This record gives sequence, C-alpha cells and structure tokens, in this order.
Amino acid sequence: MVSEPNAVIAVDIRKLTVKFGEFTAVDQVSLSVRKGEIFGFLGANGAGKTTTIRVLCGLLVPTSGHVRVAGYAPEDGLEKIKTRVGYMSQRFTLYDDLTVAENLKFSGSLRGIVGRKLEQRIEELLEFVGFSRATGAFVKDLPGGIKQQVSLAASILHDPEIVFLDEPTSGVTPGARERFWKLIRELAGKGKTVFVTTHYMDEAEHCERIALMKDGKIIALDSPGGLKASTFRTPLLEILPSRKMAEGSWLPQLRAHPAVESIEPYGMRYHLVISDPARLGEVKAQIPPSFEISQTAPSLEDVFIRLVEAGFIK
Amino acid sequence: MKVTLLGFMKKEFAQLLRDKRMRIILFIMPVIQLMLFGFALSNEVKNIRLAAVFPLSDRISHEVLSKAFGSGWFKPARTTSTRDPSEWIRADQADVVLVAPPEGITQALQRGNARIQLLIDAKNVVRAQQIEGYLTAILQTTALDFIPVAAAPQGGVVFETRVLYNPELITSYFMVPGVMSMILCVITVIMTSMAIAREREVGTFEMLIAAPISIREILLGKTVPYIALGMLDAPVIILFATAVFGVPLRGSLLLLLLLTFVFVCTTVAVGTLISTISKTQQQAMLGGFIFLLPAVLFSGLMFPIENMPIYMRVFGYCNPLYYYNSAVRNIMLKGGDPSAVLVNVLILAAFAAGLIWISAKRFRLTLG
Repeated sequence: MVSEPNAVIAVDIRKLTVKFGEFTAVDQVSLSVRKGEIFGFLGANGAGKTTTIRVLCGLLVPTSGHVRVAGYAPEDGLEKIKTRVGYMSQRFTLYDDLTVAENLKFSGSLRGIVGRKLEQRIEELLEFVGFSRATGAFVKDLPGGIKQQVSLAASILHDPEIVFLDEPTSGVTPGARERFWKLIRELAGKGKTVFVTTHYMDEAEHCERIALMKDGKIIALDSPGGLKASTFRTPLLEILPSRKMAEGSWLPQLRAHPAVESIEPYGMRYHLVISDPARLGEVKAQIPPSFEISQTAPSLEDVFIRLVEAGFIK
Repeated sequence: MKVTLLGFMKKEFAQLLRDKRMRIILFIMPVIQLMLFGFALSNEVKNIRLAAVFPLSDRISHEVLSKAFGSGWFKPARTTSTRDPSEWIRADQADVVLVAPPEGITQALQRGNARIQLLIDAKNVVRAQQIEGYLTAILQTTALDFIPVAAAPQGGVVFETRVLYNPELITSYFMVPGVMSMILCVITVIMTSMAIAREREVGTFEMLIAAPISIREILLGKTVPYIALGMLDAPVIILFATAVFGVPLRGSLLLLLLLTFVFVCTTVAVGTLISTISKTQQQAMLGGFIFLLPAVLFSGLMFPIENMPIYMRVFGYCNPLYYYNSAVRNIMLKGGDPSAVLVNVLILAAFAAGLIWISAKRFRLTLG
C-alpha cells in the first residue's frame, strides 16, 4: 500500500467545478473531511449539494478540480472509490416491488457479497438499524422511516469507510429522524466518515462541521458553534409581540433604528440583531413594553437565514 | 460477474413475474395476438356475391356458376329486378357480375372469339384482384372441359400449376409464423427498453452505478433475463401455432429454437439501444413503437419485401424481423434446409452483435 500523507483525510476536494451546459452547479468548491467525522452539507434545493456528493461517489465526472475520496482520485479508477464508499441517494434506492430481503440480497450481489456471508451481514445490519419487521415485507408497504433504515442498511452492506447520505431524513416523522441520527452517530463511533446533507437545521447541530452552500459555492464552513459565533458577534434579541400589536408600526420603526442591524421573523417571534452592543439599552427602549424580550443564543436557523437568505457578508 | 448476473436474474424475474399485468403481457397477450392474426387477418376472400347475365341455353355459364358456388368462395348475389349489371355493383348487391356474350359463352367460344365481361367492385383492390383470379381460373378450366382447343391460350402453352408446401393456400400457415416474430419483438423490445428506463426514471439506476460494476455486467444483467423471458414465451407460441392453427412444423424444432434464440438476442439488443436514448419509461415505450411499426411493415409479414421498389427493399434487408420471418416459414412449412436457415441465423447474430456493441458504446456509468 502506498503511504498516504493524508491518512486522516477521508474526503479532499480542491476547486471542484461541475457545469451542466451553461449552468454551473458546483463552483470552485474546496473542502476536506477528516476520517470519522460527521460532516454536514447545508443549503437550499439546487445549491449543489447532491451534485457534489455524486462526484464524490463517482457518479458524475467533474468539469474541473481535484477530488480524492478514501485516498483515491477518480482517475485511479472509479471502482476503487465505489468499493470504499456507501451512497444513499435522496431518491428511491430500494425497489418498491421487491421485499426487504430481496433488495438487500440484490445489493449484495452487485458488490459480490453472497451466501452465508451475505446473510450474516444482512442480519447484522438489520439489527443495527433496528429493523424489527419481517424481511419478507414488500418495501412499498413500509412507512418512510423504516424504508430509510433499510436503505441505509443496503448502502453500508459492503462496510464502506465513508458513507454519503443525501437528505436521508426528508419526508419521515420526527421520531424516525431522531432514530436515524442516532444511527449516524453510531456509524461515526465505529470510525466511519459520514457525509450528510439535510434541510433540517436542528439536524445540522449533530454535525461536527457544516458547510453551507449557496448557488454552487460554499459560503461558510465551520463547526455549528463556530458558525454561530462568527455570524453573530453582537447580541441577538428574541421578541414576542403582544397579540394585539402583532401587526403595527413598531416593526418598520425598529427596522429603521440605526443600532438595529436586522430583524427577521422567527415563527411567532422576531429575532433582532444589534449592530452595536453598547446601544442595547437604547434599542430595548424602542420595543413596546408589552412585548416579551429575551437575549438568546443564535440557532443554526438564524445562521442560515442570516447567511443564505439575508445575504449577510462578514 | 456470475454473482452479479445471478442477482439480476433473480431480481428481474421477481419484479416481472410477480406483477399480474406483466404476467398477462407475457403469457396471455401472445396467445390473443396469435388468435387475432391467425383467424381474423386472412387474405382469403370468401363470401363473394356473384351475379351473372347469360342466355339460359348457355351450358358453360351454368357450369361456371355451379363451380363457383361449389368452391366455397362465392355465393349468389341477391339482385333486384333491374337489368343493368353495373347498377347491382353500384347498389352494393353484388361484388362481381359475369356478363356473358349475347349468344352465350359456349357459342362464342365455338365461333373462336369469346369476350366475357367481368364487373368487379374494386373498392378493395386486393379483394378485387383475387376475385378476378378466382373467376378467370374457373372460366378457364370450365372452358377447357368443353372446348379444349378453343380455350387454350394462343401458342398452345398450357400451364400446369402446382402449389408446393401450402397446397391449400391456407393463410394462417403463412401468417402465424410471421406473427411469432411480431409478438416476440413486441415483448422483448418494449420490456427491455422499459426495464432500463424505469431504473433511470425511478432513481434506482443511481444505486446500480454506485456499485463497482462494469458496463458489461450491467448490460448482461439487464438483457439476459429478458432473453430468457423471450425464450420462455417462444415454446408457448410455437405450441399454440401448431396445436390451434395446425401449422405444420416440418423442420427441426431445435433449429427453430436456435433461430428464435438468436432473434430474441437481436430484439433485446434493440431494446437496450432504445433505452440508451430514453430517460423515462414513456420515451422508451414510444421509441419501441417507432421501431416496431416499420419493422413489422418491412418484415414480409403481410407485404412481401420482394414486391417493393428497390429503395424501399433496403429497409427490409436492414430488418432483423425479415430474416427471422423468412427462416421461420422456411423451417415450419418447407422443412428448413439447415444451410439456408443458418445464413439467416448468422445475419441475425451479426445484427445482435452490432447493436450490443453500439449500446455498450453509448452506455454510461455516470449521470448527467
């Protein structure tokens, strides 16, 4: 085996660009993911997350840039990468008209796993993902959350070093999402590198590091705490307007205040960012007294809104 | 590779045979199509309404009529009292009217110059031509019986025609072997192309190519099961053709199965090629029919390629169905001289190899 200077790096991307005709889906993206890390990929639909993952799994040929996955570049032969990564796409990875057992066996046959070894592996993985139903059940009869569990089992059947999960929890119940994230943490605990995309901000908190993508570019990359700290250097106020004043002139007035950097709706509440911490009292005085005010820690959703939707530039 | 192929076989068979609609398409549809084409699509013209105008004393006319009605092809036309024969055709009371010379055919022939008029309704040209053929044949033989010398064509040449291999000229003997090619083609082309397109459409294709498998493995995996299905269908069709339509199987069954195997490989290859240019099942289905329609028309199933102008014949010679049809008819009806059939087998094999080669070139293990 060739000695690898980056033995701790699982995924390394340098200036990756993917174009579809005139459209640039991924634009000069660079990042690296450590072995055993849970790496989150955040962004709106069409931000370029899936395209990046497809390149990393050897399903797309990049327009330019360098990629190294599990120590191998696509030029070394895609099958070298494909044997070392597991991929769960956001679309159907299972055949609806086959049973759970048939699906897993087919996945096994694609990777040359057969016989007793395959049966053992299937048993082991179904136990790992917490699948407790009959393996003779048709996939089409399973609820979304269970389908995702089986999907995960199918994608890690060959015991890959790196697991790419593209929106694994979209469209499943909150309980199923929580269980799925427990599995992701367990995988990381076993030394697997997990590269996961999601829409859910609360899920992103589970990641060790997060890359925020917008229009094919990475606009922020840090740990959840780091992202919050760097995006919000000044206090964040959470305001709950009193019911009768929910609509009113206070909002434009507050927005016009020189010490208010931004005010964004946040559920029933508003999140207000102060530009100058020294003028905190001055701003508070502007808020109608019947409103509940509290200083709060920013959530990743705040970060996302600030960076992606409000176009905040540090 | 064996493991992957076996996995594909199990998966494709489970998906196809479990689906009730698929089972119907695979095993019931061929039988229905065979029935439709064998029974309904017949070139034989029957129930021709024949009327005749002739002097009552004319013996040949009487004899022609009784032979015509006795042949089973003709029946008496019910005409109204009008004396104008063309009016009977116009009013659709008769398909053909035989108008004898005023003195009668017998006398006219004896005189040496008999002009007999046939009024034929030609709204269907094929039918009209056949009616003409039948009636002139009957007239000829009857006249020969009565006045041998006078009825003989000038120059005295008399043709003695013997129809070989299908002496009764039973259409189904000719149609049924041809329809076999069509049924196998519909099933294999459409199913193969849709099966690959379906993986693309649903998204499972992404999972297939995420595994470290080669183009050869995926092509084999997606074609071999369909070749096997086609070969499962072939005996059903052959059995039905011989048992229900009584089509003789004069040649070797083994040779027929070998020919069918090579043909099914070719049609599955066509389906694979179509799937490389289709993103959805709908596109694959459309592509399949765009191929099928001309392929059936230029297969010699209904219209002989040899009758077409040279630039159209090219389509026939580029058409796998043409070679299969002619070889199947050869085996079933003529006993299939192996060297003649093997030429067609080789041509079909060349088609299959070429199509698979193009498909493999076009096939991509990547998305986008």
